[in-house]
Amino acid sequence: MPTTLNTLRKIRQAVDNRPAEIDDLKAAGAKVVGWINYNVPEELILALDLVPVRLGRGGDDHLVEHGSRWISTKNCVYVREIVGLFAENEDPYVKATDLVAVDATCMQVFRAGEVVQHYFNKRIAILGVPRNFATPEGGEYFRHELKHFAGKLEEFAGRKLTRSALADAIGLLRGIRSGLDELYTWQAADDALIAWEEVLDVVQAGNVLDRRQYIVLLRELLSELQEKQATDEIRDKFQDVRIFISGSIIPPGDRKIIHILEDLGARIVGDDIWSGLAPQLDVDVVEPTVEAIADAYLGRVPHGALPYLDLASDRRLANLGKLLERFQAHGVVYHTLRYCDPYTFKGTETKTVLQNKGIPFLELHTEYASSDQEAIRTRAEAFVEMVRNRNLIEA
Amino acid sequence: MSTEFQLENGIFAGVDVGSLGTKSVVLRGTEIVGKVIIPSRLNSEEGGQEALDLVLEDAGLTRADVDFIVSTGYGRISATYANKTVTEITCHAKGANFLHPNVRTILDIGGQDCKAIRVDENGAVADFAMNDKCAAGTGRFLEVMANVFKVPLSELGDLSLRATQAIPMSSTCTVFVESEVISLLARGENPANIIAGIHQAIANRVGGLFARVGIESEVYFSGGVAKNIGMKRAIEKALKVTVAEPRFDPQLTGALGAAALARAFAAKENLAREAAI
Repeated sequence: MPTTLNTLRKIRQAVDNRPAEIDDLKAAGAKVVGWINYNVPEELILALDLVPVRLGRGGDDHLVEHGSRWISTKNCVYVREIVGLFAENEDPYVKATDLVAVDATCMQVFRAGEVVQHYFNKRIAILGVPRNFATPEGGEYFRHELKHFAGKLEEFAGRKLTRSALADAIGLLRGIRSGLDELYTWQAADDALIAWEEVLDVVQAGNVLDRRQYIVLLRELLSELQEKQATDEIRDKFQDVRIFISGSIIPPGDRKIIHILEDLGARIVGDDIWSGLAPQLDVDVVEPTVEAIADAYLGRVPHGALPYLDLASDRRLANLGKLLERFQAHGVVYHTLRYCDPYTFKGTETKTVLQNKGIPFLELHTEYASSDQEAIRTRAEAFVEMVRNRNLIEA
Repeated sequence: MSTEFQLENGIFAGVDVGSLGTKSVVLRGTEIVGKVIIPSRLNSEEGGQEALDLVLEDAGLTRADVDFIVSTGYGRISATYANKTVTEITCHAKGANFLHPNVRTILDIGGQDCKAIRVDENGAVADFAMNDKCAAGTGRFLEVMANVFKVPLSELGDLSLRATQAIPMSSTCTVFVESEVISLLARGENPANIIAGIHQAIANRVGGLFARVGIESEVYFSGGVAKNIGMKRAIEKALKVTVAEPRFDPQLTGALGAAALARAFAAKENLAREAAI
């Protein structure tokens, strides 16, 4: 679908301009916190007037190879590319980072943080994460760890957190998350004016843009969608196979399976990946305190690295079912990166649960090299054929 | 393309451009009237065209007689001669269903991949799993092994049946197994026992694919490797299943499925045309 939205162009332009802006901010004395993983609360970074950027890219096999000199090849390509980014030191956000904040959710990403600290002399702040968010002990541990982490950020910023600064940051991020959630609803509509991939670009623009500028752009985008919807502008009819993406992270730069699916005429209508919709959901900070932020993050759908031993109480699966319903998906493509054990090991149980509900499931196990491009295409194409055939029979 | 379409007497062609072999089947209605297998060419488009010309010659037909052509296999992407392209997974399912309507489980071992497929009563794919990107457990793997033993590929299966025991292989990696086989031969092991071990290793690997899609009914074994009697026996033993006796050359299953799908697509297009009139 061709992009006709002016605000998308503005967002892309803002992303292009951002490295230079950050250079200017740094020249004026600002400090940049580059964070990796899943549970680092940006609320704390913003409340201390630090500049948050979410680091990490994908899809570049050269950087993966580069990173593999410092971290074991038994780590996933995303993790190795993070290390490669630091080793190469050409990414503007990596270069600008004064402090690397990393949480211990995915232990491979956490290890990448340790490697970055050890080999590339980056200052690092670590946030401990309990293996089980659901137990009282896990909750207590995370609250304690977040206080400790906040202390480290305060020390780095040279100032203390205040209730009013926290309230501002919490409000800002609440607005961003709810805006993104709304955007996901727009892209899933039958006659949507915005595609899922464009929404993913918008989400990932929020990794680096000034969050105050970002929320303005986000609201403008939502208004533009509303206006254009009302004008009944001629738009392409969307394809008949609606696919939901689950599994391992799809970071900026990695569009391999997305483009394969789109080339095949499938339409992606939603995701629960941790570089997409997942972090925007269920974050309810009830008061401007570090403890309340900890509780809100404990209430999110946990990352795949955190185990659920009982399928019946697995919130990830419950959330997946809810999102499939919300986005009216016909099938799930479960994307796993080689050596991304948290998601790869969950593939079989997820398939079993979904197939019991009659939802087609395909796992695409891949990495960033192009050697499996055609093999992946064949699997994806057969899956699209299978789903299309089912849809025809059901119709 | 013929101008008047008749479903019962129409001519439908399937072309399966695989990594090692290019296959083609022609149907007149539902009757198989032509078949051909040629080695795949470097240029898959030319290989597909050649197979199509040869199969039509075999059937005593010309291109002008053909109502619909479906191409499949890895070379389906470059098939300007085809009306439609379909994946080999869907085609093998359709081909197996055409020959054995009661079969719900298919194993296809081709030149460079293997697939476990579950189908419904219409021959539509219900679920499938494919091996990883390497050549382990595929036709190419067996070809390399045949070279090590300096025997024609077609004799490998019969040789495995002469084994007194199967020597377990420590991997299914083509390169590692080749080294292992050379070491075993140097140690004086019985070649038949080693070959049986190789077949067993592939069968065990295939078992992993079926763990992902499940087994329903007897198994239909398609693809070039299905001609290998040793492989068939090893599969039966490892999966504890019965492999259906093929009613047609199993290497042509994909091309046959493509031809059967060509018939279905032609019928659908014809209906749409009639509705428009």
